[in-house]
Amino acid sequence: MQVFLQTLVGGLSLGAIYALVAMGFSLVYRTMGLVNFAHGNVVMIGAYVASTFYLTVKLPFVPAMVIALVITAGIGLVIERVLRPLENKDFDLMLIGTIGFGIVLEALATLIWGATGRAVRNPVQTAPLDVLGVRIRTYDLVVLGVTALAMVLLVLFLQRTKRGAAMQAVAMDHEAATAVGIHVGRSNAIAFSIGAGLAALAGGLAGPLLYVSPTMGGSLGIKGFAAAILGGFGSIPGAIVGGLGIGVLDSYSAGHFEGYSDLVTFLVFTAAIMIRPTGIFGERTVNRA
Amino acid sequence: MTFRSRRTLRLGSLAAAGVLLYALPYGLGSYAIHVVDVAIIFALLAMGLGLVMGIAGQVNLAQIAFFGVGAYATALFTTQAGFGFWVSAVLAMLAAVVAGLVVGFPALRVQSHYLGIVTLGLALAFLNWIINTPMAGGADGISGIPVPPLGAVDLRDEYLYYYLEIVAFLMALGFGLFVVRTPLGRRMKAMRDDPLAAGAIGAEIPNLRMTAFVLASLYGGLAGVLYAGLIRYVAPESFSIANMFLLLAMVIVGGRQSLWGCVVGAVGLSLIREWLVDFSTYAQLGYGLVVVLMVVFAPTGLAGVPVRVAERIDRRRSADRAVLRPFRPYEPLDGAEHAGPEVVGLEVVGISKHFRGVKALSEVAFTVEAGAIHGVVGPNGSGKTTLFNVISGLYKATAGQVVMDGRRITDARPYRLSQAGIARTFQNLRLFGALTVRDNVLVALDRTRTRFIWRYALWPVGVWRYDRELRHRADALLDRFGLADYAGATPGALPYGIQRRIEIARAMACAPRLLLLDEPAAGLNGEEVRQLSEIVRSIRDSGVTVIVIEHNMGFVMSLCARVTVLSGGRVIADGTPAEVVATPAVIEAYLGDESMSDAPLDLPTEVK
Repeated sequence: MQVFLQTLVGGLSLGAIYALVAMGFSLVYRTMGLVNFAHGNVVMIGAYVASTFYLTVKLPFVPAMVIALVITAGIGLVIERVLRPLENKDFDLMLIGTIGFGIVLEALATLIWGATGRAVRNPVQTAPLDVLGVRIRTYDLVVLGVTALAMVLLVLFLQRTKRGAAMQAVAMDHEAATAVGIHVGRSNAIAFSIGAGLAALAGGLAGPLLYVSPTMGGSLGIKGFAAAILGGFGSIPGAIVGGLGIGVLDSYSAGHFEGYSDLVTFLVFTAAIMIRPTGIFGERTVNRA
Repeated sequence: MTFRSRRTLRLGSLAAAGVLLYALPYGLGSYAIHVVDVAIIFALLAMGLGLVMGIAGQVNLAQIAFFGVGAYATALFTTQAGFGFWVSAVLAMLAAVVAGLVVGFPALRVQSHYLGIVTLGLALAFLNWIINTPMAGGADGISGIPVPPLGAVDLRDEYLYYYLEIVAFLMALGFGLFVVRTPLGRRMKAMRDDPLAAGAIGAEIPNLRMTAFVLASLYGGLAGVLYAGLIRYVAPESFSIANMFLLLAMVIVGGRQSLWGCVVGAVGLSLIREWLVDFSTYAQLGYGLVVVLMVVFAPTGLAGVPVRVAERIDRRRSADRAVLRPFRPYEPLDGAEHAGPEVVGLEVVGISKHFRGVKALSEVAFTVEAGAIHGVVGPNGSGKTTLFNVISGLYKATAGQVVMDGRRITDARPYRLSQAGIARTFQNLRLFGALTVRDNVLVALDRTRTRFIWRYALWPVGVWRYDRELRHRADALLDRFGLADYAGATPGALPYGIQRRIEIARAMACAPRLLLLDEPAAGLNGEEVRQLSEIVRSIRDSGVTVIVIEHNMGFVMSLCARVTVLSGGRVIADGTPAEVVATPAVIEAYLGDESMSDAPLDLPTEVK
């Protein structure tokens, strides 16, 4: 029982990171119908920038995160601007275009920071809590708290602000949105930069949990994407549930199958998608003839 | 350029390419030939990826895993099980096909980016397995794969290995080109452009998707076997996701919809990668940038550049010399045969269709007489197209049944219904955009089932003959519909009226017994509507039962023997045009208010 709960706690904090990654995927997808395969690499850039300002420049953790957020939001703007001609046209081409950006970002990171990774010091140096014999690191609670806060802010933004409502309108019908005077390009650019900012948040928080390296984007991105799909692609609460689900699944399969954990995680994910392609909170779409 | 000189040119360039391929090793050093050997293997992989992604439109990020399965299976069968190289090679190809089936299986349920992530996940799962299983030697991989024995030829020599690879490569390229240009390839392209319409004209979409993945896995497996024989050592790093993306870059840069493009992209990037081997990170940066630029500025890749240039020149020169010729009527059936077994009616019995509480259709029932033209009219949103979608199998009915020819056909898959003799057109036109007009018709003319593809392996000559016969029939059909001048054009650029006619021609290519026309007169001018009624009458006279949805009342009233009126998903009138027009419910549905019913309803009854 103790082992079971300990694994669950470990899975939840990593799951919160996946949830943040998944939220970025979902936000960009629901507003512009684009799947950003470079998202994982933006997460990696966020992790590197945050850790550089935290470890090398010796800024406190929070300002370092803010700088990472701003920089990745800028990267998001660049990606959106370059791929804008393809928006609402060829889905598969856009997907491949973002894979291209992912390759570029990974190469840039290798050039700037080298191919070997770095470990990041835990910014919250307090003793772990002990609840019913389960050790909970304070930092895990920080990660979960930030994720919850980010979700609440994002949902409020989408539902309560004019800008958020405009984004939803663009998502539903970009032509009608143009007709009522919404600047679709700008709305998409903002969505994309918020998505990239979420990536920096995920990357920065993941730094102390994982090892920061140019290739960390690959596995974080793929698992975050899997989380988004599992929860129902485009749904913000779905991203949270999917993220925590993948995190816990990962944690248990690491415990039981050791080296084969990725194999098990992806097989389970494939089976889940085959059974319910729309995910947990996904909308069923009807093909119109 | 005349046909003959073009053919001579083509033969000449093929001969020159042959001589070049033969002589190439003589001019290369021992390292250069190794690089070329590896490049050919990547070309094979890229062709497989091009077939599944560019031709069949299935996002496949597991091509590198097929490669890995081929290579690892060869290594395991030779070193662990002690089989000979060629026996192992055959078993490895089988293993790759099994991998293809496993990876392709999710494509039955999910498409596009979902399929991308699932295939990528499965590729990672494979990588995870070979790194961890003790049998595969972990990160160290497997060494000591024997040299492939080939009589007196020593394949340890990489120069001689080159010739083995070239033979395999040319056979794979020839087979790939053959597939692309014959019925299977056309069907896959149709599925890529519009799976819904492809299903409606008889393509068995699930089988076709699996076929595409199996083809990709065959190319991947072959590449893996050749790689194992060349390097005689396999390790996980060769099958990494980074290499998958490199392969993707090759296909995008070269042009995913052209096998030649895939080959050019693969060979080109392989050589560039080797050239920049000391600056591999910069090379990675470079090809990432090239991929981004290609998708934005040249989505058809290098292979598409000559076509685009030619199109630009063509547009200037031959502006609109093509004309739409008059339709040549079908031979009418004799009166005696008119009610023969070929001519079928349709019975719609209590069909309901609900979308989460929205009742699009409630207990719709009517009968279509064999050999008649039956009209379905009603205000917008009254459920007409939903009804067609239920009849043609795109939607599952919530309740009720459709009976054709005494057989219950409710809830059958669209391709089954197409094979049973139902063809349809679509309200918003669903032509295959990247296919020529001739190919659009050819896809529909091909009435074979999926099992036909065995002939590709067993008797390709038969496939070739069949294809030639189809082409003759396509030309005859296009000629009948007056579309011969547009045979080589892609439909998107043609005027709307011509596209409508192409869709009818495509539906008739299915040799249907029941034809469903969804607003065929929408957007047509008066003359075009007149031509259309002539075409529809001729189709009916040839023994095809026609159901037509239309808002153009004159067209419906003059053409249809009986008319069913829908409103709010219910049948509100059914009878001859004259009876229906006089029904108060119809007048109310159209004019909105019963108090208006004494106003004269001005419906023209004849179109000339």
